[in-house]
Amino acid sequence: MLDDVRVLEISAPATMLAGRMLADLGADVIVVEPPAGSPGRRLAPFLGDIPGIERSLTWQALNCNKRGVTLDLSSPDGKGLMRDLATRFDVVIEAVGGGKESLLDSIEFSPRMIRCTVTPFVRIGPKSEYAATDFTVMAASGAPAMTGDLDRPPLFFPVPQGMMEAGADAAIATLAALIARDRDGLGQRADVSARIAAMMSAFGQAIVPGSGNPEAKRTQGAMVIAGVQVPSVYECADGFALITIGFGPVFGQMTQRLAKWAAEEGRMDQRIAEISWSSFISDLTARKASPPDLQALVDGLKSLARSKSKAEIAEASRRLGLLASPVMNMKDVADYVQYRERGLFTRVSLEAGREIDAPARFAQFSNYSIEVKRPAPKLSEHTAEILEAELGLSKAEIQALFVAGEI
Amino acid sequence: MAAPLEGVHVLDLSWVMVGPASGRYLADMGADVIKVESSKRIDPVRTLGPFKDGKTGPERSLSYHNLNAGKRCIAIDIRRPEGREIVLRLTQWADVVLESFTPGVLETLHLAYSDLKLRNDRIIMASTSLLGQTGPYAKGTSGVGTMGAAMSGATYQIGWTDREPTGPWGPWTDAVTPRFIVASILAALHRRSHTGMGCYIDVAQAEAGIQFMMPAYYEYAANGTIPERRGIAGSPLQAPQGVYPCSGEDRWIAIDASDPGHWEAFRASIGGELRDAKFDTIIGRLRHRAELEETIAGWTHEQEVEAIERRLQAAGVPAHVVSRGGDLVRDADLLEAGHLHKINDPVFGEADIEGPRFSLARTRLHPTRRGPRIGEHTKEVLAAVLGMPETEIAQLGESGVLA
Repeated sequence: MLDDVRVLEISAPATMLAGRMLADLGADVIVVEPPAGSPGRRLAPFLGDIPGIERSLTWQALNCNKRGVTLDLSSPDGKGLMRDLATRFDVVIEAVGGGKESLLDSIEFSPRMIRCTVTPFVRIGPKSEYAATDFTVMAASGAPAMTGDLDRPPLFFPVPQGMMEAGADAAIATLAALIARDRDGLGQRADVSARIAAMMSAFGQAIVPGSGNPEAKRTQGAMVIAGVQVPSVYECADGFALITIGFGPVFGQMTQRLAKWAAEEGRMDQRIAEISWSSFISDLTARKASPPDLQALVDGLKSLARSKSKAEIAEASRRLGLLASPVMNMKDVADYVQYRERGLFTRVSLEAGREIDAPARFAQFSNYSIEVKRPAPKLSEHTAEILEAELGLSKAEIQALFVAGEI
Repeated sequence: MAAPLEGVHVLDLSWVMVGPASGRYLADMGADVIKVESSKRIDPVRTLGPFKDGKTGPERSLSYHNLNAGKRCIAIDIRRPEGREIVLRLTQWADVVLESFTPGVLETLHLAYSDLKLRNDRIIMASTSLLGQTGPYAKGTSGVGTMGAAMSGATYQIGWTDREPTGPWGPWTDAVTPRFIVASILAALHRRSHTGMGCYIDVAQAEAGIQFMMPAYYEYAANGTIPERRGIAGSPLQAPQGVYPCSGEDRWIAIDASDPGHWEAFRASIGGELRDAKFDTIIGRLRHRAELEETIAGWTHEQEVEAIERRLQAAGVPAHVVSRGGDLVRDADLLEAGHLHKINDPVFGEADIEGPRFSLARTRLHPTRRGPRIGEHTKEVLAAVLGMPETEIAQLGESGVLA
């Protein structure tokens, strides 16, 4: 769909998903790395738990479908080659660390060029000089303060999320600028603050105080309703399951069906299953229902969950229409028949003779298919090819650049 | 300069979070987004808080405004043949249609892509659901973002090792999925501008969540290791990187001084026991991590969190308050960027909602506006967009179609 779009990605963790999304949608994406390799190549986990420039699985996952060149953008040669290359491309994406200068600032791009810059905080603002890492950017998003249990410290994702949130919004910002250019032929600068992008996963925490409400608190592990701890995740026979108890006209009926199932399985008193869960909250206020009944429901669900496997809970959720699902680990994801048969996966080569199924098709189209046409580039894999084909450099010139450490 | 999607028409049949948030991106980019709702079947997000001043009511949900800012809204009963015909006529007007019904529902209403395409073969239609439109468990499966998080492998990996997983905050895939929908729609609009070709787009929310967890998936697929929850905030390969308690209730500072340069700046600024030779090297800091973390926590716990952020930033050390809502609303960076916008709603008065998540220098995004009330623009849209005579509108109103 983007087969007429050419992208230069100055590789950084926060550009990787942006480049991958554009490449998956058909753009010709070239990652530009310093001769020592992109910082993205040093992100865990590593193939076989052995680190190496070609062994980062994060790099592999987020750079397939791209070609790779090395250039020292801090040298006159690197800058000159970048300037020449840029004339042949539509988009350049970069991520600049807090307070650091962009290596692209000295390059004058053509008016058609779309330049997307990701910064940790707003590019020109009170925190633009802030030293920042993915970890501190996420802390600033508002999501971790709400993640985990109130009696313990906040928790973060084990996979860096700032680079994902920012990368995805950088793809969108770039495409918005591309649509504008389709109309009037002119490029422009697009800016993404990783922190604001990551606030998407904080679900409007920022608008709570301004609407006259008390701040929300971290309660993800267990909601407390009428003094009763109501968990969202339950231990089951072979792992964990998410089971949500809701009330009110829509969600209450799901709770009703859930309780009925528990009673049928002999895990809950029939009387508890027959309580009107749709009206439970208002009945509590009217003293027609009592907290111990809710405790009995929770205890019954704990007992029910322990007697069932993840697959059985998933099946019951589909059959009965419940807000329940298995808490899948990555093996479950890899094995899940729904993802398999739907065509989420496609083969990707990691190293010679080593292939895995990657869940690459983030969207399915009636007349386009996301395919992994090439694995993530090895360091400098396409440098000679691109300098020759795009810029007409001779074989001797390319070797001279290598000898000087420029590529 | 006009916003990039000025003149692009979007028919938004979606509800709750994923679809509406996708439509919001398009509205911010200048598209004319018409949300289809019904007072008989209101958008459930209207029942979710925060509510202005904590008072509930379908026109008081700020989550609703945050997800539907800048759209127009028509109230129609699409189950009635006349209501369905309005949807089909709006399809002729639209460039993009968004929907998030349980897979199979639109087929029964004869409003599936195949039906819409008959009226407008250039249409770009995006459907989103928990598990997608195809595959053995697709049809009839509905779900929410907490289920998406659970089925994407995220929930399993977030929590304490001695407890059940807690999972990410809220319906996490509802935040992730709109990015993949919007990028797909924009790519399709670009292609259509050259080829005239529309398309159907199917995005499964659980699959979108997997994209943000891709490194963990690769760890399993390549190494055979199932990534487990860690029970710590930071990375096991990087120290010090973590959250440390500060004075006050539930106040935490995030510090990442794991990079050697940042570490030297950090220990020079704090001094004391951090100067101990056992913390000189990366290996030393990892081997004595518990002691290191304890020493840092001993330094932070009686101090005010923002003071620590300022002091460490002045020394060039990555540090930030673990922000809560109250911090975000007075954050200098967000205020300067104008990320929080005051809206003035005729029903509840003033409140904050968020602005767009990126900026364009030339073709600026649309200024942030409030969301529409249920059916606020029904007559305006029927008359101006569909050219419907007033008598016909009145007739439809009387027969209960416009409700």
